[in-house]
Amino acid sequence: MPYTKKLLLQIKQLKRFFLENKRMPSYRELGALIHVNSLSAVQYLIQRLSMLGVVQKDSLGKLIPGRLFNPVKVLGTVRAGFPSPAEEENVDTISLDDWLIENKESTFMLKVSGDSMIDAGILPGDMVILDKGKNPKIGDVVVAEVDREWTIKYFEKRGEEIVLTPANKKYPLIHPKEELRIAGVVTAVVRKY
Amino acid sequence: MRKIEFLGSWPKAIVHLDGDAFFASCEQAVHPEYRGKPVVTGKERGIVAAASYEAKRLGISRGVSLWDVKRICPDAIIVPSDYETYSLFSKRMFAIMRRFSPVVEEYSIDEGFVDLTGLQRPFHASYEGIARQMKQTVEKELGITVSVGLSVSKVLAKIGSKWKKPSGFVSLPTTAIFDYLAKTPVEKIWGIGEKTAAYCEKLGIQTALQFAEKNEDYIKKHFIKPQYEIWQELNGYSVYSVTAEEKTDYASISKTKTFTPPSKEKAFVYAQLIKNLENACIKARRHHLVAGKVVAFLKTQEYSYSGLEATLNRLSSFPMDIAPLAKEMFEKIFEENVPYRATGIVLVDLQPEGNVQMSLFESPLRVSRLQRLYQAIDTLAQKMGKHTVFLGATAHAHKIPQHILERGDVPVRKLNRLDGETIRKHLSIPMLMNKGTQR
Repeated sequence: MPYTKKLLLQIKQLKRFFLENKRMPSYRELGALIHVNSLSAVQYLIQRLSMLGVVQKDSLGKLIPGRLFNPVKVLGTVRAGFPSPAEEENVDTISLDDWLIENKESTFMLKVSGDSMIDAGILPGDMVILDKGKNPKIGDVVVAEVDREWTIKYFEKRGEEIVLTPANKKYPLIHPKEELRIAGVVTAVVRKY
Repeated sequence: MRKIEFLGSWPKAIVHLDGDAFFASCEQAVHPEYRGKPVVTGKERGIVAAASYEAKRLGISRGVSLWDVKRICPDAIIVPSDYETYSLFSKRMFAIMRRFSPVVEEYSIDEGFVDLTGLQRPFHASYEGIARQMKQTVEKELGITVSVGLSVSKVLAKIGSKWKKPSGFVSLPTTAIFDYLAKTPVEKIWGIGEKTAAYCEKLGIQTALQFAEKNEDYIKKHFIKPQYEIWQELNGYSVYSVTAEEKTDYASISKTKTFTPPSKEKAFVYAQLIKNLENACIKARRHHLVAGKVVAFLKTQEYSYSGLEATLNRLSSFPMDIAPLAKEMFEKIFEENVPYRATGIVLVDLQPEGNVQMSLFESPLRVSRLQRLYQAIDTLAQKMGKHTVFLGATAHAHKIPQHILERGDVPVRKLNRLDGETIRKHLSIPMLMNKGTQR
């Protein structure tokens, strides 16, 4: 059964009545609401509404609300009359992508293979997200090239010298001998269970 | 060359940015153990698709067979092409270029033009400064090197980017053009082919400068429009604009695929040919084009080509229309007991679809049925992947992989699918790779 413009208007009036009076109207009140005098016209409307599930009748034949106030897809236009808390808040949302990735073009991923950063909560099998465009600051977790392999370490300073420190006592500090290649600064760790 | 003087140094500012040994550079960017070593991509095809500069220095270039590569340099690192990663790098390269100017032309996967004209003020920098910053940003954020030419026209910008590879930067304001042109042989100019170069030699033109210095009447008398345009570009007048839109006015669409091992089996080679036809038609339909002619060719193991051209009764982009013609041509060029290694289809005389003239003896009903059929096929392809529905003749080509692979012939990225990734859907973030993470 289609929702005609007229029917949608009548549902809206019914809703307003319910919100104002905290109860459903009697047949006669409904008649007044929709400007008809004939009870059979009211009955016809109620029959249509109950077929749509908008209202129901109790054992005494009195009206009780059906899906009147539940979100139903087809009632979308009607629902718009009610302020939703989310709309009141009026916030924008961001995707997980936007949250995890600052600069789309310079972001890479690396699968963690060793346990040298275990005390920093970076475990073997984790995926780290790194930004190649960022310049590392002291204390950052970075991906660096050591002995032709990518390795994840803290970027730190001992005196004047830059050192790569692991987060696991089993491993030694790394003192880069010549040029230190930093692939990027780690900005997030992703672990999927 | 009096004209140049009143143009000013920068009547326009056009950058040509060109990835250095792009595919090989991408490999080196994600595999630290490849850096500084001769790296060659194309393992799955048996020939070099791209060679790193370390390999180029040893004389290895595009198209060389891998057997020769191993002979020239036994230590060369030969890897299968990882197009997924290359295209991620490519997209990022263009995205970075767009940070500097909205007018970016993606000329191919690894090179593009940028129009910087008028942007000094918003950047508070000279054109040279902006172009250098663009180069540095690409190199830093992607970990590859690029060569950049900056000049007042596309042809000149391209001379600049080719000047000193890898990682070159050449700026050619109008005042500097002639020094560079004097050192550029005429055949190195973008748009001048072998034949034109040979013709130039007959006219006593050897360098780009000699060509540029001819007067207008001479050029108009001896050459045709394309060369006249190049002449203008060389003289600092920009006639080719940087076009930011996706290229849709293809002159032709060609699809060629190599397969290994080479095959003598007629049905298989035919299936390969028709698969190319399907691919070419998919591309034509995507760009709303129809073809008037079709070329089919086969390539033998000895790298010799044989091909034929045929005209369609009605412009079309439907394999079911074109396959019968392709079959006829195939029957004429296929020879028994010759091993073939590649097939190709070229659709030519392309025109926008929509104004297709029916031929006299054809039922319009059949045509509209075909249209509906291919609409449905394209919709299915969008949902379920390319070649969800294909012609029966190509089953041979779809059933087995294009190349009989050793395990090492699959890109590392494909072997390392993440939890939750499927064959068709991967994270669009390039992965750094360690030796340990493989296989």
